[in-house]
Amino acid sequence: MSVLDYIWLGILAVFQGPEAFSIFGLAISITVVMVISGFFLGILVGATPGLAGPVAMAISLPILISTFGYNTDALLPVLGFLIGVMKGATVGGAVPAILFNTPGTPDAFMTTLDGYPMAKRGEAKRALRIAHFSSVSGDTFSDLVLIIGAPFLAIMVERYLDLPEKTALLILSLSFISAVVGGSVGRGLISTGLGLLAVYVGTGEDFYPRLSMGTQTLAQGFPIATSVLGVLIIGAVFKELDELRSDQRASRMKPITTSDTNSALTLAERVKLAPTIFRSAVIGTVVGALPGIGSTLAATLGYTAAKRRHDDTEGGKFGEGAPKGIAATEAANSAVSGANLMPVLSLGIPGNAAAVFLLLAMDSISGFNPSPTVFKFDPVNLNPELVMAFGIFTTMFLANALNWTVGGRVMRTMRFMIRIPKHILLPSVLLLTLTAIYVQETRIEALYFAVGFGVLGYLMRVFGISPLPFVIAFILGAKLEETARQAYAATGNDPWFLFTHPVAAVFVAVSVGVMILTSRKRGSV
Amino acid sequence: MTPNKFTAGIFLVFAIVVLGVWIPNDVETGLLEKMRRHWVIGDSLAPTLAAGFVLIGAVLILLFETQDEAQFTMVSAQFVFFLKLVIVILVALSVMRHLGPILVNTYVAISGLDLEYRLLRDMIGIKHIGFLIGGVIMVGGMITVVEGRLSRRALIIGLIWSLVLILVYDLPFEDLLLPPNGDV
Repeated sequence: MSVLDYIWLGILAVFQGPEAFSIFGLAISITVVMVISGFFLGILVGATPGLAGPVAMAISLPILISTFGYNTDALLPVLGFLIGVMKGATVGGAVPAILFNTPGTPDAFMTTLDGYPMAKRGEAKRALRIAHFSSVSGDTFSDLVLIIGAPFLAIMVERYLDLPEKTALLILSLSFISAVVGGSVGRGLISTGLGLLAVYVGTGEDFYPRLSMGTQTLAQGFPIATSVLGVLIIGAVFKELDELRSDQRASRMKPITTSDTNSALTLAERVKLAPTIFRSAVIGTVVGALPGIGSTLAATLGYTAAKRRHDDTEGGKFGEGAPKGIAATEAANSAVSGANLMPVLSLGIPGNAAAVFLLLAMDSISGFNPSPTVFKFDPVNLNPELVMAFGIFTTMFLANALNWTVGGRVMRTMRFMIRIPKHILLPSVLLLTLTAIYVQETRIEALYFAVGFGVLGYLMRVFGISPLPFVIAFILGAKLEETARQAYAATGNDPWFLFTHPVAAVFVAVSVGVMILTSRKRGSV
Repeated sequence: MTPNKFTAGIFLVFAIVVLGVWIPNDVETGLLEKMRRHWVIGDSLAPTLAAGFVLIGAVLILLFETQDEAQFTMVSAQFVFFLKLVIVILVALSVMRHLGPILVNTYVAISGLDLEYRLLRDMIGIKHIGFLIGGVIMVGGMITVVEGRLSRRALIIGLIWSLVLILVYDLPFEDLLLPPNGDV
């Protein structure tokens, strides 16, 4: 079997999978229907201030699993839906940023800087079109890099990394996330340490489940849904409600209407924006491929790079309604989503919150284990995981095709979502999240755990500690310990296995180096 | 005390307690253990490293982040507001868990019938009552805390949203259980 055969089988798995319905005799596969549904839901969620793609992904996951089951056939419909949500939310996040000066998703914050001033001077629709065009361009670029880059990354990992190196790579990922996400290296380390500590409760190789305080409740450990959803979503709900209490600004502001008539983007204007979009897409893709950094930093870097090269006499000043400001931000934050799947598919290491839920779906459904073996081209025996990987890529391009064709129009119709008051939306999201957790865990303790993790997530935010390192550490913790145990045994009980293997030693040195460099850089600011 | 020192102090104490008290007393095996004449990694190693990260993080903040002050303020109004939210949620969860069984037990006490909630948990209405009322308390209560007054609108929103969730999660799926039907 050649590479092209695998690609073709992946495409067929999406379009010729189980039939949902048929139109004039043409069968429409359930995967296609799920990508479309996820995409529209994603735009809706992204356009709603206070919600974001990961919230919708988390809440819909138990329904999806219940509907499609745990076998391999469920993989593409479930992942297709989640990928649709992820991509739709990225585009939708620009709507409240431009019309309401409030980012729908955190990564759309920089869009407010030029989007809202454009909207105020009567160019709201035009600003939305620029945001859409830039977002979808960045996203498509990133997906192309993913398809080319992920197999190469997997081959490199498989060829050069044994158990000690894989342990060191996990340490490097966690160090990197600790160092670059959140307020400071110290806070990042605290967040990572807490995540690891939480995942080790109630586990271990001894008969006695460690750190369980002799209770049956803790002996089962913390379910992944309670900790991830608790810290990420319930913690965010608490913090948003808290901000609502202290800041009544949002309730006083009126959204801007999109009444401008001449809003179409000409080809010349698109060409003019192209270099800015391309630069930001490259920045977003590079940032996205590194675990933990995420789209908010990508948007900031893309915006800053564009601002530095911008001529104020051409198209207005940055921060006062420059179209290039919107283009730079949207292209960069959208370019993160594709590249972010590189470490997910090749190593099982999530880079941001959306990737966490994709990984959880892959873990729940059998038949696809993210690892270097996914990309093993076997010319004789079919590698079903590789077919699935190309199926996943196909769903991403399907979502992109939707984005190019109808995404802009759908996005502009979602402006009504910004009228939903946050203090009504957020309690509803909380009940929805707790319901989603209960249907997965079916015990009330899980809800108390989730609320407890929500309190922790809130306090972490109050203390200026990012919850993302906690979540990623919680997901990678068990894998890190297991790999370390295996590496220790495989090296003949060498306690220095991280330092006696050159590649592992380099990874450990880079981990320490990243910490020191980031500390010094932050210290000098 | 500055916010940074306060943050670092809390996590420093936490890490010391975990390393000095919790791990030694609540993990059966050490950092390394001899098992069948081979040394293996014990259950204490991973949590020790995790608590070590927290400790190092706190020390880094104390030593090197002196200029990065004013990260947060926790005023008493903020604390009271947050406490109210948590209390509303805990009350709502408690109602979700116990209301259905309490109602059935009360009915049994009055009627003398031989029934229990577990036998009735497939019955529409009975199986939803705890979730419905708990949901109204949670959503309506939280809106009330934010608005500062109890309104009919808040309760109606809670009722409608709880009904929507029953329609989405429970009615179409036989294998999905709403609270408290997985516990009883």
